Amino acid sequence: MGKNLLRIENVKKTYRKYNLFGKEISKFSALNGLSLNVEEGQIYGFLGPNGAGKTTTIKCIMGILETDSGNILIDGMNIEGNGLYFKNKIGFLPEQVGLYGRLTAKESLQFYGGFYNLDESEIEKRGKSLLAKLGLEKDSNRKVNEYSLGMRKRLALCIALLNEPEILVLDEPTSGLDPRGVKALRIVLKDLNKKGLTIILSSHVLTEVQEICSHVGIINKGKMIREESIDRIRKEVEKKSIKLLLKVKKFSKENAKELSKDKKIKDIKQKNNGKHEEIILKLKEENIPWVTDFLVSKGIKIFSIEPQKNSLEEIFLKETGDD
Amino acid sequence: MNLKDRYLLKSNDRWKSKETWQPLIISIILIISLAIMHKGYWEATTETNPEEVWENKKLIKDENNWTITFEEDVGDSITFKGILRTAPKFEVYMNDTFIPGKFSEGEAIIYSEELYGKTMLNVSGMRILVNDDLSKKFFVSEVITIKATLVSNISTFDNNGQLISLEREGWVAETEDISLSSTKDNYFFTTELLILFIGLYLSLNRIKNLSEQTTMIWHLAKFELNQGIRSPRMIVLGVIFTLFIIGMGWLLGDLQNGDPESAFFVQNANGALQQLCFFVFFVVSLAAIGVSVDSFHKERQANTLNILLAKPINRETIVIGKAVGLTLVVGIPALVAQILGLIFMIKAGEIPSTSGIIAFIVCGQIMIFTLVCFQLCFAIAARSGTDVVMYGLGMWLLFAVVWNLLIYAISFAIGIDVTADDFENDPKFQSIASHIGMLNPGYVYQFSVGLLTHRTLAIDLEGIPGWLILLAQVLWPIICLRTATKLFKREVKG
Repeated sequence: MGKNLLRIENVKKTYRKYNLFGKEISKFSALNGLSLNVEEGQIYGFLGPNGAGKTTTIKCIMGILETDSGNILIDGMNIEGNGLYFKNKIGFLPEQVGLYGRLTAKESLQFYGGFYNLDESEIEKRGKSLLAKLGLEKDSNRKVNEYSLGMRKRLALCIALLNEPEILVLDEPTSGLDPRGVKALRIVLKDLNKKGLTIILSSHVLTEVQEICSHVGIINKGKMIREESIDRIRKEVEKKSIKLLLKVKKFSKENAKELSKDKKIKDIKQKNNGKHEEIILKLKEENIPWVTDFLVSKGIKIFSIEPQKNSLEEIFLKETGDD
Repeated sequence: MNLKDRYLLKSNDRWKSKETWQPLIISIILIISLAIMHKGYWEATTETNPEEVWENKKLIKDENNWTITFEEDVGDSITFKGILRTAPKFEVYMNDTFIPGKFSEGEAIIYSEELYGKTMLNVSGMRILVNDDLSKKFFVSEVITIKATLVSNISTFDNNGQLISLEREGWVAETEDISLSSTKDNYFFTTELLILFIGLYLSLNRIKNLSEQTTMIWHLAKFELNQGIRSPRMIVLGVIFTLFIIGMGWLLGDLQNGDPESAFFVQNANGALQQLCFFVFFVVSLAAIGVSVDSFHKERQANTLNILLAKPINRETIVIGKAVGLTLVVGIPALVAQILGLIFMIKAGEIPSTSGIIAFIVCGQIMIFTLVCFQLCFAIAARSGTDVVMYGLGMWLLFAVVWNLLIYAISFAIGIDVTADDFENDPKFQSIASHIGMLNPGYVYQFSVGLLTHRTLAIDLEGIPGWLILLAQVLWPIICLRTATKLFKREVKG
């Protein structure tokens, strides 16, 4: 177990809106006593439905928003009153990447690097290496407003990594990226994590979290519902039954009866979509080969086999009460 | 816990929360105390209401024997402190300024040839005869102290064929009895400034990472300058306001040579400079709106603030950095325009005083900083780009266009007849206009330049003392900047 790098204790945050004269006109409670723990070296996935408080939590960690109460501790030290010190240790990639369009990538790096007490030559050296790593070297002299969204995200990631942070915080990093961009980002993040960088990312793309993260925290309505390692969730899922959707031909009612007799199958549903027979089976994951062997032995043609829901999604929906 | 304890606890918490600024707060309290002592010093050592002494004189007309007496005894010496209401150069008796043998009730004196070369000073409405020609020694609006002695004499004059014997008491003084009040004021002002600087220094020392944050202010300011100065909007505005200021400079220079009877005649170069200040303000305030629209509001829309806020930089630093940067965006072209305007004004007219020229440039830049901070408040608080422009234009209209109407309305409401001829020379109207003017950064700029064209700060400009003008000059940018940072902190707090 690594050392506790980030700890959030019972944080509350309410958004308030004021009119021009300073009178409060509305308020909305975004975080209601949220707590979480991130250990050194983890890739921590922060999951939750829209409006759960993911972005608010991230903004509080980054000191962009001030909390109403509770503590945010980095390395055991409260960030309140030490915000500037900790901001030197954290890199941040926001969901909506806002960069100055009239600057080139190089100029952007020089501008943002200027806030870290780095001299121009050091910024240039680090920037060059980061741009190369993220595939932007050729476009480094182009203005940012000529960039695609994916390129902007990569440039924002370069900016986030410029101060060689200990923690990288990413808010919905893959939103708006094409599959190739997602894959490239995943590789970069895994590579950075291997080099010792602790990563916290929020996402609602469950497969992405499953693919990248080592730990997951699920929040809903501003509260942490569950924090667990991905391995543990996987094991839990393996113990549980999954739903399997099969598209087959020549599947008779007798076959269905025969299947349902076996204790390995907990439930079976069958319907005809005109083209194929669709069978939904509820079973443990380890019994999938037995099912396919059975169907093949009965001469049934199998067109496709797919788990109807992925494991994390099932848990996510259950925990957030949407199942 | 009773109300008193709760109040004390709350006050204690508030005081602790201001730990950084405690030395500055203490120094301001000391300065206020010293200012009260300063006032007390003048009250104790001088007669600060000469007008009252003058008004209390009695003119008794008993057939052929008239007497003018004061409440004081003959031979009494009093040091008066007051404002030179009229220019001493216009109050010197010369052989073409009066008819010898005529009695002047206003000055309470019989004109005679003996008066040639003497000056009848108007000190806050009181007339004191000085046995010397004071033109070029003292100037209108200066605050002076004058040690005068009450003397008595008897003379006669012809009052429409009737010979009148006048036993007259009057106040007289010598040149060496007169001094600018600033000779004493300066001791107080220097001590007050020293206390302020010590308080400020100690407070700044308490700010964490001050040198790093100062570097970042400059980093941000340079960025804003590079972004803003090249924007097409600023280029167009810069060209327009440069041409406008050059044109007005040339016109004001030329008007100094015009017909003195003309309504547009400009009396001297310092007066022209003061008027040029208004035209600088007129166009520069419009440019401040132009640049501030692009700042916080647009940044919030483009989400550029999120990355900036995640950097190791204070919220105050962000606002100050942007304010300084945007001031440079407007200030650099304005500086060029100011210099060109001055050159054209001098070419067509006379050269204003050096202190006036410096004040015109420096106070102009402070005024731009103030306006930029003012507009930033709107840019931070407004919910849409249209709101920013509308609020900005509203303020511009108020400050630069309809301000005089506002003054007329207020003056009318408090009983001044603004339809009367020459009402603008009514001291009461002037005092109201000047005091309300302190609420307008453009007027504060004009007054500051007007003040600094004089050789002393002990000046009373149309009812406004010099220290109040300087205070307004200092407070305007501080209040605007403080409001902008406070609004920004509230906005990003969520």
